[in-house]
Amino acid sequence: MASGRRINLPEGSPFERGEPVQFQFEGRPVEGYDNEPLAVSLLAAGARVFSRSTKFHRPRGPVCLHGHCSGCLMRVNGVPNLRTCQTHCRSGAVVERQTGWPSTGLDLFRAVDLFSGERLDHHGMFTASSAINRLAGSVVRRLAGLGEPPSADPQKSVPVSRFKSDVVVIGAGVAGLAAGRALGECGHNVVLLEAEEHRGGRLLDMATPEGWKQAAAEKNQLESVAGIEVHVETPVLAVYPGDPLEVVASNEGETLFISARRLVVCTGAYEQVPLFENNDLPGIFGPRALDRLTCGYGVVPGEPLVLVGDRDETLRLAARLVELDVALAGVVTSRRDTPDLEAVRRKNVEIFEDRRIVCAHGGKWLDRVEFAPLNSPQRDLVLDCRTCAVEAPEAPAYELAHHAGCRVSFSSQNGYRVVVNDEGQTSNSQIFAAGHVTGATSVSEAARAGERAGLACALSLKDDNKIRERLKSL
Amino acid sequence: MGRTIVCRCEDVTIEDLKQAFSEGYRDLESLKRYTGFATGFCQGKCCLAHAARFLSALKGGDDTVADPTRTRPLLHPTPASRFAGAAEPMEDE
Amino acid sequence: MRDRAELVIIGGGIVGLSLAYHLARMGMTDVVVLEQGYLCFGASGRNGGGIRQQWSTEVNIRLAQQSVRMFKQLARETGHNIWFRQGGYLFLARDARIAAELEKTVKLQNRLGVPTRLISPAMARRLVEGLNTEGVEVCSYNSTDGVLFPWPAVWGMATVVRNLGVEINTFTRVTGIDVKDNHVVKVVTDRGAVATHRVVNAAGAWSWQIARLAGLELPNKPYRHEILVTEPLKPFLEPMVSDLSDGTYFSQTMRGEILGGIADPQEPSSMETNSSFRFLARMCNSMIRILPRLSRVKILRQWAGYYDETPDGQPILGRVKPVEGFVQLNGFGGHGFMLAPAVGKIAAEWLLRKQDHQIFHTYDLGRFERGETRKENFTIG
Repeated sequence: MASGRRINLPEGSPFERGEPVQFQFEGRPVEGYDNEPLAVSLLAAGARVFSRSTKFHRPRGPVCLHGHCSGCLMRVNGVPNLRTCQTHCRSGAVVERQTGWPSTGLDLFRAVDLFSGERLDHHGMFTASSAINRLAGSVVRRLAGLGEPPSADPQKSVPVSRFKSDVVVIGAGVAGLAAGRALGECGHNVVLLEAEEHRGGRLLDMATPEGWKQAAAEKNQLESVAGIEVHVETPVLAVYPGDPLEVVASNEGETLFISARRLVVCTGAYEQVPLFENNDLPGIFGPRALDRLTCGYGVVPGEPLVLVGDRDETLRLAARLVELDVALAGVVTSRRDTPDLEAVRRKNVEIFEDRRIVCAHGGKWLDRVEFAPLNSPQRDLVLDCRTCAVEAPEAPAYELAHHAGCRVSFSSQNGYRVVVNDEGQTSNSQIFAAGHVTGATSVSEAARAGERAGLACALSLKDDNKIRERLKSL
Repeated sequence: MGRTIVCRCEDVTIEDLKQAFSEGYRDLESLKRYTGFATGFCQGKCCLAHAARFLSALKGGDDTVADPTRTRPLLHPTPASRFAGAAEPMEDE
Repeated sequence: MRDRAELVIIGGGIVGLSLAYHLARMGMTDVVVLEQGYLCFGASGRNGGGIRQQWSTEVNIRLAQQSVRMFKQLARETGHNIWFRQGGYLFLARDARIAAELEKTVKLQNRLGVPTRLISPAMARRLVEGLNTEGVEVCSYNSTDGVLFPWPAVWGMATVVRNLGVEINTFTRVTGIDVKDNHVVKVVTDRGAVATHRVVNAAGAWSWQIARLAGLELPNKPYRHEILVTEPLKPFLEPMVSDLSDGTYFSQTMRGEILGGIADPQEPSSMETNSSFRFLARMCNSMIRILPRLSRVKILRQWAGYYDETPDGQPILGRVKPVEGFVQLNGFGGHGFMLAPAVGKIAAEWLLRKQDHQIFHTYDLGRFERGETRKENFTIG
């Protein structure tokens, strides 16, 4: 296995590694920590190919690091398709890859990718004769499926807890924390459901301890308000429309079935990777994922790195990485002369201006990235790198709200977002939404929107002049 | 082979989208079913916006993809054992 | 859109398209198909892909047999793979009454050439590893039943008929059927009208609405049925498994997903297509009871579609009084897809070559008035 390396976690990181543990990865012992996701330990140990893609058997690896893609799936202790970025190391765990033949590392079916031309028409294949059709069916069936069925013992049904709540807030990022706090301060009982282990959402991925401090401060503020019940590591799986709404959330220990009069959706947005040739090569991440990996978990999968983008967070990440002595091959941006870019320049990292990424190259892992000027197809820059973080517009996590009947709107710029009025109410009078799920573009905007939605939600439950005044003052 | 992957879960490339469009699958639901994007493990979290953008560009505007594909539970793949305990006994049992 | 046609088919699902498919292949292409949504919008795009010949009435068994033969050829004929896999259907019977019914039905199937066998729970456990047969009296198994992927069947037929000159109009809602002197003269849609003397109502759960436009009351009622699908896994389940006591069924698709549903006697007739937690919980509970290893398999998605049900669970086929030129091909409940190839061919031969067939008499609308209904016992989902 090639090189990933660990760097020291900054003080105050919520992602403390915990106790060292050893687990088995395809017969080899791997060192990890009991608070560290398996995917991270594997990257630190130099694991490259996590899986092979369904049709073309292309090498794949972790991408989003936040549990919304399928790049890090592996078999753990006899259970297939577990997101290793969401599964902590446990001593003695047996971790295996699932796809590829004869092995994930060396998959002969990659030949399909290499020899099938521009497209593989899975509708027309094997239709020449019925006999071929039947034979092909049994072969293709064998190739399909992400992993073998579970070999672990059948699991007993998880206990289901049914209860009522006036309000359920989904998401403990800045918007959700603000909404929950506002509702609690208005005297309402709130159940706040968060999928991750830590509260703070994107505050946890902001490349500096400032983000973590703010997240911790929000957490403390929330805890100082009575009547707010927080469940972390308890993702909401569905909201069924009706009156009351039915909110279903679940973790390993229990499933919650909550009848809610009101819902505040603060589910944020999914980081995306843009479209370019070979954008699926392991080693390509979004900046937020790379932030979590390097500054959160303290693992650099491969050096040198290239960062591509214009957002403050991306440039801040670049500056932080050079500060941590991580090797950067370049920063590609249209921004000019920001303090972070200066910091990068001071460490002799080249900054390339006004380019877009057009192609990535590599065998089983990223090798180099090609760029062209923003308004020209002519490639004029190649950067050798093992890790690349490239920006794309995020995709708001609109699904829960949409299924519960809320209207969404689309823009090519920002994808689908939940539509809300100025007070955060959606097209469904029972449901409010705030933050990046509605198209917010900054943490401060999300926090303000969260507070407004919380107050408006409180008002919708019980009219109160003081709350009305407070809402007006925002 | 250099490929631009739109849907990682189902290995749907930009060429697949173009081909499906040329064969007449021009609304988001049909395009999804015909190519398979958004039908895999992540159910479109990483690809739906890209596909909608693709269609919008070809059909002349964002209003042509105003509605996303139908959203259905579950938000994340979840073991059956998490729900079995909630089954109510039927009235005639 | 054409403004006149020899025949207008309302409904671009598998039944309507199967009719168009056979008509076109017989040379009749002056046909317009009207579909309110995208192809695969209705039940044809929402079903579990189950194809079985284990039915309790002779007519259904014969239609299913013929359809299975036709499905085997469909991929080759249309150039669209439907991934038809004859992995068998395994029915579990839990009480003595159902077991007795099953025995009778199997004898009937055998008489007609369907090789279903009554098998013991122990044998069933050999067919499905880990099957929980506690409380099961007897099972039936037919190895020539199977599952397919429904969407490419729809696309394949649509592509063939379009290439032959049939016009398929998607996103086109029928808003009226003009009848003059008890004869159909025109179909009106939100995109224009088509003059015609023959209309086929193959609108599935919307058939009763379409019929009303022509002044006809059908006894069909739509019922929501829900399905769930799991993460894709390597093949481990060969047959479709179904529990006759509660209508649970599930099978493994070509992609490796476990896909299935469960009957809900409490579900009222409606045009609801929202998903429910009730279904999710009941289905997971039942699946795990029948095959415990499914407890750790992850549910990926649930959805819903309609069964177009009639009072006796059998379709409504053929002419109706008093409207001339208004043919019914609907009321298939949960088994329209698997009978569509045969029904389409028979209906095409009837419409084009005036070849009469028993199904238009056994399953005519008038049977309800005459009290000659024939209940189909073997329904699931």
